[in-house]
Amino acid sequence: MNEPESAFDRSVRRTQWVLAGLAVLFVTGIVTWIAHLIRTAWRLGDVLSASIGISLVAIPVFLTLGGVIVYVFVGLLTDRSAR
Amino acid sequence: MSDAIVERDRALFGPLSETGRGFYLTVGVLGLAILWGAIAYAVQWSEGLGVTGLHQPVSWGFYVTNFVFFIGISHAGTLISAILRLSKAEWRRPITRMAEVITVMVLFIGAGQILVDLGRPDRMMNVIQYGRYQSPLLWDATSISAYLTASTFYLYLPLIPDIAILRDHLGKRRWLYAVLALGWRGTERQWKILNRAIAIMAVLVIPIAVSVHTVVSFVFSMTIQPMWHSTIFGPYFVAGAIFSGIAAIIVAMGIIRRIYRLQSYLKPIHFRYLGQLLLVMTLLWFYLTFAEYLTGYYGNEPEEMKVFWSKFTGPFWPFFWAMVVANFVIPMVLLVRLRHHAVGKTVVASAFVVVGMWLERFIIVVPTLSNPRLPFPEGQYWPTWIEWGELAASFGVFILFYVLFVKLFPIISIWEIQEGRDVGLKEVEERLLTYLPDGAADAAMPEREKVLT
Amino acid sequence: MALWGMVIDLDRCTGCQACVMACKAENNVPAVGPKEAARGRIISWMHVLREESEERTRFLPRPCLQCDDPPCTKVCPVYATYRNPEGIVAQIHARCIGCRFCMAACPYNAKYFNWLRYQKEGPGQNPDVSVRPKGVVEKCTFCHHRLQKARERARAEGRDLVAGDYVTACAEACPTRAITFGDLLDEGSEVARLARSPRAFRLGEELGTRPKVFYLAEMEGHRRV
Ligand code: SF4
Ligand code: SF4
Repeated sequence: MNEPESAFDRSVRRTQWVLAGLAVLFVTGIVTWIAHLIRTAWRLGDVLSASIGISLVAIPVFLTLGGVIVYVFVGLLTDRSAR
Repeated sequence: MSDAIVERDRALFGPLSETGRGFYLTVGVLGLAILWGAIAYAVQWSEGLGVTGLHQPVSWGFYVTNFVFFIGISHAGTLISAILRLSKAEWRRPITRMAEVITVMVLFIGAGQILVDLGRPDRMMNVIQYGRYQSPLLWDATSISAYLTASTFYLYLPLIPDIAILRDHLGKRRWLYAVLALGWRGTERQWKILNRAIAIMAVLVIPIAVSVHTVVSFVFSMTIQPMWHSTIFGPYFVAGAIFSGIAAIIVAMGIIRRIYRLQSYLKPIHFRYLGQLLLVMTLLWFYLTFAEYLTGYYGNEPEEMKVFWSKFTGPFWPFFWAMVVANFVIPMVLLVRLRHHAVGKTVVASAFVVVGMWLERFIIVVPTLSNPRLPFPEGQYWPTWIEWGELAASFGVFILFYVLFVKLFPIISIWEIQEGRDVGLKEVEERLLTYLPDGAADAAMPEREKVLT
Repeated sequence: MALWGMVIDLDRCTGCQACVMACKAENNVPAVGPKEAARGRIISWMHVLREESEERTRFLPRPCLQCDDPPCTKVCPVYATYRNPEGIVAQIHARCIGCRFCMAACPYNAKYFNWLRYQKEGPGQNPDVSVRPKGVVEKCTFCHHRLQKARERARAEGRDLVAGDYVTACAEACPTRAITFGDLLDEGSEVARLARSPRAFRLGEELGTRPKVFYLAEMEGHRRV
């Protein structure tokens, strides 16, 4: 892979990394949101147990999803091995 | 476009490279339906929900029915595809992609129904800012967003090698394909990563899918209203969802096979297998419905019975009995024997099931609301053109998305078909041998070798 | 801390609708017009139901029953309806997203929806109560604004809130004095005494919603004990 990258290749690469970043941003966004809802429930003296119970399931699920997404994006994009 | 890869599966590239008159005609018709919905929504936005047929006490109607219905349809795709993948069913290969696409598109539309249903869509952000997890609506929001993420990614993963093929061979839209192919070159390491990711996602997506329709049912069963407050609702909704989902897949397969001339890929055998699955779900649906209604009937609680009779003999009887016919009688008649005309029979049965399941959702949502506990001045709920418009537009958007997807990506997974030819055949044979008792396998081996040589 | 409640004596109620009218005037409850009314969209926080049986016709005024364990507040996704510390189930019109989940969850149909924009601010309205926009849910609040005013007055006069300072519009208006309002926790109060009467019963007792609106009726109370 020593040939100089063309402008086309460069724009493709850049977009791919942007996509990967967006995916990560999305998952972290949702996790932050769930955490925010716990905080809201606590501050309002609302039903905290429901928020905590659901986030105990939801947050790991989203983190796993995010993990797989990162694994694929990074794994495929950084692959330099020969065919 | 003359490589061996392309040559072998030329039919699969057809819709990608050529665009006929039919395409523009379809898009035009769908555009009209969507326009209708858009105008209806604009009116509703400026006037308020009063332009619908909703009133007191029937404060939920078409939109909520559509929400449950579309989310139900979305169950087929990813769930079925994951189950078939995990159980190594070889006949899945031409089906999985089109099933997964249904899921992703329909999920958007299902979630959109809730937005259409809101009295104050402009305050939607309140759900994010002040959401509270005691409300089942938030369970829905969380579960559906997990499912949407998971199923989109699960659709995308097996697309990557196909997109790479398109990038290298199609000569159109190169930039798009190059980006989405993620630098796929088919190296061993890339294959390992992809296969592992697909396997993880297939496992992960099943519980998420089950959770989605369970919490959709909780919107109803967590209240204490007669015929909603039922412990069976979770599994009942999930079963119904898979039922309607399979039916939707079969209908889609029938149409795609016809339009894109994919008869050699989607064979009667595929319809027969899915038809048998549909038959099983018909029976399961009937069993759950029976259990649900008999419990209510036997218990004979006055409030429950009011709703019960309004469905059986009261104002809702046409819907109720049409549902029973479409969901049970017709599929039973058509699906018990699939030796001949498997395609036609399963497609017709499925079309009825799709309608029947919509009626089922309607019959769950509306009669309970229209039979309140206290003697209340009743009004009959009947949707206005606004609600019909949203329904038409929902279907319009769904089909339009689907058609566009078929234009941009192969609707049948090219590499998976090729893998089936190159690897699958041998693998299945070897796997079969491992099922047999040891002696039998050893005995069969030399026989087979003799035959082959 | 008080626990506000109401007792309605059905043996006294004549179905005259005075409470309904008083409520409409007090709380700026919109008149929806004949067309909307025919479509089943009347808004009436206090609603007089008619129960007809073979031996008699009975009227049953139904405000929001201010359940102590309200099924409607549990399901609200945005905290737009909640039980406040004094037991009043409040409704925040500015936050409601109009999902109508609470309407579906209320077993007594006490919640109403603004299907259209039914009224604008104008002369003749009660300035203490907000005019609701379209697309939000509203319901009886036990004239909560009256409590706020009564509190302020008591504070200005440097005394505690006493029985009779805070009464709802419907209780005031009832010509047969069928409606009694007050603090259920105050053992000596009229409401608390009547709520303990053998004639007392609550709507949908078996639902476990524990309404704070009690009804009195000669036969009913005994039957339900
Ligand atoms: S009567 Fe209905 S609206 Fe009032 S508190 Fe009870 S459940 Fe809520
Ligand atoms: S309609 Fe308003 S108050 Fe009722 S549940 Fe929805 S957001 Fe809450």
